[in-house]
Amino acid sequence: MTTASPTHAAGPAPEPDAARAAIVCTGIRKTYHLGRVPVPVLHGINLSVGRGEVLAILGSSGSGKSTLLHLLGGLDRPDGPSAGGGRENARGSIDVLGTRITEAGTAELDRFRARTVGFVFQFYHLLPELSVLQNVLVAGMVRHGAGIGRAGVPERARGLLEAFGLGHRLRHRPVELSGGERQRVAIARALINDPPILLADEPTGNLDRKTGETILDALMEHRASTGRTMVIVTHDRLVAQRADRVVEIVDGRLATPGTV
Amino acid sequence: MAIGVHLSSAVLQLLLTRIYLTSKVIPLLAALAVMLCTAMVLIVWSVMGGFLGMLLANGRSFAGDVTISWPNAGFSHYQELIRRLEADPACAAATPMIETFGVVSLPDDRIEVVTIRGIDGPGYARVVDFDRSLWWRPKDAFDRKDEKNEDPRVLTPGAYEAALEAGRRMTVIDPATGRERAAAVLGIELSGMSARLPSGVYVHQSVGRTRTDGSLEWVGGRIIDRDVVLRVVPLDDAGRSFELRSFSVPVANESRTGIFDIDKRTVLVRLDELQRVMKMDAWKRLESPIDPYALGEAGGSGGAGVAATGAERGARVTTILMKAAAGFTADQLRDRAEAIYAGFAQDFRGQVPDVRSLTGNRLIRTWAMSNATLIGAVERETVLVVGILCFISFTASFLILAIFWAMVSEKTRDIGVLRSLGATRLDIALIWLLYGAAIGLLGSGLGVALAYVVVLNINPIHDVLVSLGAGVWDPRVYYFTEIPSRVETSKAVLVGSMGVGFSLLGALVPALRAALLHPVRALRFE
Repeated sequence: MTTASPTHAAGPAPEPDAARAAIVCTGIRKTYHLGRVPVPVLHGINLSVGRGEVLAILGSSGSGKSTLLHLLGGLDRPDGPSAGGGRENARGSIDVLGTRITEAGTAELDRFRARTVGFVFQFYHLLPELSVLQNVLVAGMVRHGAGIGRAGVPERARGLLEAFGLGHRLRHRPVELSGGERQRVAIARALINDPPILLADEPTGNLDRKTGETILDALMEHRASTGRTMVIVTHDRLVAQRADRVVEIVDGRLATPGTV
Repeated sequence: MAIGVHLSSAVLQLLLTRIYLTSKVIPLLAALAVMLCTAMVLIVWSVMGGFLGMLLANGRSFAGDVTISWPNAGFSHYQELIRRLEADPACAAATPMIETFGVVSLPDDRIEVVTIRGIDGPGYARVVDFDRSLWWRPKDAFDRKDEKNEDPRVLTPGAYEAALEAGRRMTVIDPATGRERAAAVLGIELSGMSARLPSGVYVHQSVGRTRTDGSLEWVGGRIIDRDVVLRVVPLDDAGRSFELRSFSVPVANESRTGIFDIDKRTVLVRLDELQRVMKMDAWKRLESPIDPYALGEAGGSGGAGVAATGAERGARVTTILMKAAAGFTADQLRDRAEAIYAGFAQDFRGQVPDVRSLTGNRLIRTWAMSNATLIGAVERETVLVVGILCFISFTASFLILAIFWAMVSEKTRDIGVLRSLGATRLDIALIWLLYGAAIGLLGSGLGVALAYVVVLNINPIHDVLVSLGAGVWDPRVYYFTEIPSRVETSKAVLVGSMGVGFSLLGALVPALRAALLHPVRALRFE
C-alpha cells in the first residue's frame, strides 16, 4: 500500500490527474438540521479517487465519513449555495466517472445508484424475509439498464455466492447466518450488477477481527480480479492499512492522516 | 431496455408482495376485513336487489305489463277494445278482468277481506303466468329441496289431474247434478288448509271450526272441491251500489304466485259468474204494457208481452290486462294503448271513460306505475342500505392504512436498502400498492365466494334460524315466501372491485410515505 498522499483538506482541487480519477469531489459541504438548529457535518471536502484505487476514509464516530460516503454514492445531496454566499458558499460538486451527480435529477440518481455503485453497510442491511439468493437477486431486479441481462442475474447471483463460500446457504434466511456470512451476502449483493465502484461503510465494523479479515480479503480479491474502484469508510486503522491510500476525516474536514 | 426495466421492477414488486403476504399475519387480518365487508355488501345487495327484481318480475307475471282500468263502475265494449289492442304489434295478448273487493267465508268459518278477480281462465293465461301459478297438479319427481319426499303432487299425482284442468277452466263438475259450475281459484296462503313446509312444498292440513255449541270440529282433507262463500257489493255503471250479494263457489285449485300478499288475499272466479253477481253483465231496459216498471236482465225472463225499449248496455269489466309482444317494453305498449284507447273513447263517446281520463296516468298504467310507491320505496331503501354498508366497508381502507403505516415504519430500513440499490420512488410506491391490491384481491375474492355460498343457501340458512327461533324473513312483510337467492355477476364484479379499490385507497398514503422516505434517513432508522 502507498501511504496516503496527504490530503486535500479544504483547498485546491484534489489530485492532479483528474482525467484518470473515478471520483472527484470539490468543496463538498453538508449540514443536517436538528429541528431548526443547523449541524454542519462536512466543511468543504475536496477529494479524488483514482480508477481502480482502493481508498480508505478513516475517521472516528461522528466525523462525517459515512455522510461523505452517502454523498459519493448519490444517496444524499450536498448543501446547495446559500443566499449571498461567495465562493465559500458555492455548491460543491461530485463527479463520478465523468458524471456530475450533484447536478443529476432524482431519476438519474436512482439509475446512478443501480448501475455505477454498490453499497456494503456495517449492519449488512439484508432483507430479513428473503433468502440469501433472493437478497442478491433483489439488486439485480432493480438494475436500470445495460449490463447483464435479466435472464443472467440468477446465474450470476449463484456464482457470486458460491465464490464467497455460500453455495450451500442459498435458501437460508439472513437470521440463520453468521455475521461474516451475512456480510459476504451483502458484498455479493453489491457486486451483482458489476458496478465500477464499490462503497463500503465500516464493512468489518460489526465483525470480530478474524471474520473482518476474511471480509477484507474478499473485497481485495474482488478488486484484484476486476480492478474496480473501492472506497472503504472505517474507524479501524488496521482496516485502513489494506487500502492503497488513506485519508483521514476529522470533524468534517479532511486532515493529514496519522501513521498508518 | 425500458421494457426490461419495468419487467425487473415488476418481478421485484411481485416477489416482495408475495413474501410480505405469506410472512405476515396482520395483513391477512386486513384481507379478512375486506372479505367480510365485501361479503356483507354483496349479500345485502343481492337479497334486496333480488327482492326488488322478484317484485317487478312476479308482479308483472301476475298483473300483466299494462292495465287499462276503470275501477268500480267499469266500462263496456271491452271486447272491441281488446280486439283493437291485440291488432297492434306491441300487444301480444289482452284479457278482460273485474277486480273488486269482497269477503270470503272459509271452511274454518274465518272471514277474510280479499281481492276478487273475475277472469277468463284461458285468456288470462295468455297474459299472465296463471297456468304456472296453479299449484295442485300432477308432478313427476320430488324437488331437490324436498329431501323427505313429502310433496303430495308426486305421491298421488292422479289426485290432481282434475284439479289442474278445473283450475285452468275455472269450472268443476257438480257431483250431485253432473252439471258444470263456475269455480274459484284461491291464493294458496288463504284457506289455511295448505301448509307450506320449510322445503317449500305444500301439504294438506285440517283446520278447526267452532260449532255453535262451542265444540271444535275438524275440517280435514283438502280445500279443492270445497265450497267457499263470497260476498261482494255490485255497482252500477254510475258507481252506485246495490245490495250486498253473496254466492257460493267450489274451489277448483289454488294459485301460488310467490307474492305473499297476493297468495294470501286473492280469489279468482270466472268472469261471467262475477259479471252476473256484480250486475255487470249485459242488460236491456224492458217495458211491459202490464207493468211498465218491469226491469229484467238480458236474456232473462221478460215474459210475454214485454218489449225492449231500446235502452241497453253491454257487459262491463273494470280492467283489461295486456302483455307486451316480444321486443316491446311495457312503456312502449302503454304508449300504444293510450293511442288506441283515444280512438276507442272517441268511437264510444258517452259509454266509456272519456279520453281526458288518460291524463295523470290514471287510466292506463304499467305495473311499475301502479306500484310506483312500493317500488320506489324498495329502490330507495336498497340504495340507502347498500350505500351505508359501502360507507361502513370504507373503514376497511383505514384498517389497511393503519396496518400498512405500521408496516412501512417497520420496513423503513429495508426501503432505504432498496433505494440504495437504485429502486425508484415509484418502485417503492408500487410495492405497497401492489401489496394493497393483493390484499384487496384476496379479501374480495374470498368475500365474493362467501357471499355466493351464503346467498345461494340463504333459505336453508334461514330455515335453521327459524328453527332456532331467530327467523328474520317474514313473508307477510316481505311479500315473498322465499328469500331471493341469486347473485348477479355484475354486482359481484362491482362489489369485488370496490373491495380492491378500498384496499388500494388504504395502501395509497403509506405507499406515498414509503416512496418519499429519504434513503439515508431510512437507512439510519432505528
